[in-house]
Amino acid sequence: MSARDFISLENVGREELLEVMELARDQEEGRLGRLLEGRTVCLAFFEPSTRTAASFELAARRAGADVVSLSSGTSSISKGESLVDTVVTLDRLGMDALIIRHPAAGAASLASRHTSAAVVNAGDGCGQHPTQALLDLYALGKSLGGFEELAGRRAAIVGDILHSRVARSVIPAFGTAGIEVSLVAPATLLPREADVWRLPVLGSVDEALEWGAEVLYMLRLQKERMSGALVPSVAEYARYYGVGRRHLRPGVRVMHPGPVNRGVEIASDVVLDGSSLIPDQVSAGIAVRTAVLALATGSVERAAA
Amino acid sequence: MSTRSGADRELVIRGAHVLDPSSGLDGVMDVRISGGRVAEVGEDLHGVRELDASGLHLFPGFVDVHAHWRTPGREEEEDLESGSAAAAAGGFTGVVMMPNTDPVLDRPALVSGLVRRAERESRVRAYVAAALHAGLAGSELTEMRLLKEAGALCVSDDGPGTQNADVLRSGMLYARSAGLAVLLHCEDRSLAKGVVHDGVAAALAGVPATPASAEDAATATALVLAAETGARVHITHVSTALSAALVGFFKGRAGVTADTTPHHLTLTDDLVRTLEGLYRVNPPLRPEGDRREVIEALRDGTLDFVATDHAPHAAQRKELPLQEAAPGFLGHETAFAALYTELVLGESLPLSRLVEAMSCAPGRWVGGLGSLAVGAPADIALADLEEEWTVERESLSSRSHNSPYLGRRMRGRIVGTIVGGELVHDRMGAKLGVRT
Ligand SMILES: [Zn+2]
Repeated sequence: MSARDFISLENVGREELLEVMELARDQEEGRLGRLLEGRTVCLAFFEPSTRTAASFELAARRAGADVVSLSSGTSSISKGESLVDTVVTLDRLGMDALIIRHPAAGAASLASRHTSAAVVNAGDGCGQHPTQALLDLYALGKSLGGFEELAGRRAAIVGDILHSRVARSVIPAFGTAGIEVSLVAPATLLPREADVWRLPVLGSVDEALEWGAEVLYMLRLQKERMSGALVPSVAEYARYYGVGRRHLRPGVRVMHPGPVNRGVEIASDVVLDGSSLIPDQVSAGIAVRTAVLALATGSVERAAA
Repeated sequence: MSTRSGADRELVIRGAHVLDPSSGLDGVMDVRISGGRVAEVGEDLHGVRELDASGLHLFPGFVDVHAHWRTPGREEEEDLESGSAAAAAGGFTGVVMMPNTDPVLDRPALVSGLVRRAERESRVRAYVAAALHAGLAGSELTEMRLLKEAGALCVSDDGPGTQNADVLRSGMLYARSAGLAVLLHCEDRSLAKGVVHDGVAAALAGVPATPASAEDAATATALVLAAETGARVHITHVSTALSAALVGFFKGRAGVTADTTPHHLTLTDDLVRTLEGLYRVNPPLRPEGDRREVIEALRDGTLDFVATDHAPHAAQRKELPLQEAAPGFLGHETAFAALYTELVLGESLPLSRLVEAMSCAPGRWVGGLGSLAVGAPADIALADLEEEWTVERESLSSRSHNSPYLGRRMRGRIVGTIVGGELVHDRMGAKLGVRT
């Protein structure tokens, strides 16, 4: 079984998405067991992330893998040590999969050119965050009654699309799943050539609801971008690009990759509302990441070659 | 170059297709070289030493006004020997070295030292651009008149640019009194926060992007100041449609010339999608629309000539994610072949316009180069326009390998380069063997 990288969702087909979804369901229902037994999985985090790292590590360990973990907080990844050097070193340990998080877009694909192990991108700069989008699809599919139920639904992706690797994975993944997507952001938080996605760009969460959004996918606004030259104030941002209780019509679901800035992207009383899928997203993480690692390491037969 | 042997001897190059727009030469002819200069161009010339160049094209040697040979300071990436070998391999017989070295070329002693070293170590004519401001920091003027006496050809702050318009204005005024041209890399740093062009590729890739306005705004400022101060201003590596149009508007209103690079003429920001550090360059690769307009501006002479911005980098500075890599491409060795393949064969740019843009116009800008007129320095590039070749790491003379054309198939290759009558690059010894 050869290694299979999970670096970007841009050219991933429907069959491949379905495969991950089905494996994740098998995992949740306890049908996969310790299928990573005997495999070595390395986590190389060049940028701090407790949540994603913990989710991957749990997924790998519960499935029986040996886990080697390096992070920028430990001495193993020292400042200035090049990405390529680290990957080459890890490669000598005989790893089957490398899970990599890095502050620069393209780091995962660069890493993949220097190792025969499967590379799983756990977030590269403003580039891609494929497992986040896969777990979002899984959580959303589950709440709607299955992957097939996603087609024809409408989702608005709201907030800082310009700097979001989550958006760059969610946009193609949702599209491939048949979801109609719109973008909601001020021009300062959109790429200049946002037209490249050929998606409607709307001016507020209210407009998104008028457009027929059933899913409000809220993106995290980084603290340093909350006021000043990109956004006038938290208050104005929250008014137009935040979701409040008044938006919670029947059938509307709120998603967020976390961690949420309460009162900015999502009003405090909405975060844990019944319409919020945020807890489901978090719990989908382990199942989806186990599925991804199983496919990456070739531990299960692949449907689509 | 002073120690070069044979420069005083006579040589006749026979049977090449001679093309020199500056002298109106275009046809199969012989060229007699004597005392390091062109002595005669005509038919059926003979001499004691003859070089059979039949089947080849013969151009005035190319002149590159924008090169980084990394001397002093980063000789592991390039030095005078390897940089000039790369230049010679690309048909360049004259090169201007930019001042962003370590230390910066901002003092007369550094400039005169480098000029003397270049005389000994460079295979081609090497000129020095000194800094416009101390440390390229854009605040204190350098001693421009002393720098000129020390041998500086022009002044430039290149990459860091001069970010304050009032300071730039003073720099132009003083350079005018010093009799030096000012070579400008136009980039407004307050807009240039990214590493690639802010376009479709950047949107999809999620790499920090810089809008075209970073170049356009700075170009507009520079042109306005050039018109006002009367300085001799040269704008280097123009890469956008609007900047090219602005240059066109100011032609005739200011003493301004401009160049663009082989890579902006032949590559687009599609390459950014690979996210490879190799493709980071400044100004960034632009979309096809800009590329087209820049080609047209070169075709109609709005952009006077081509300069490579030859910028060698060690592998560890390029084998990085795009946003962490050092900006810059190798340029000397691929310039002619890339432009011949993509522009002459691909876009029907007349070959004579390419020669004008690589030899005559930059040669005039440097002064006294780029011509095969009788009495001119015998600086010559010999090209085989039929040869097909692939750019490979191993075949590069530079100490670095950061060519964006690695693996590309090209048509047309420089097979011989002559500086002051002496063969400084001879790729096919047998073919070019001088018969005595
Ligand atoms: Zn420059």
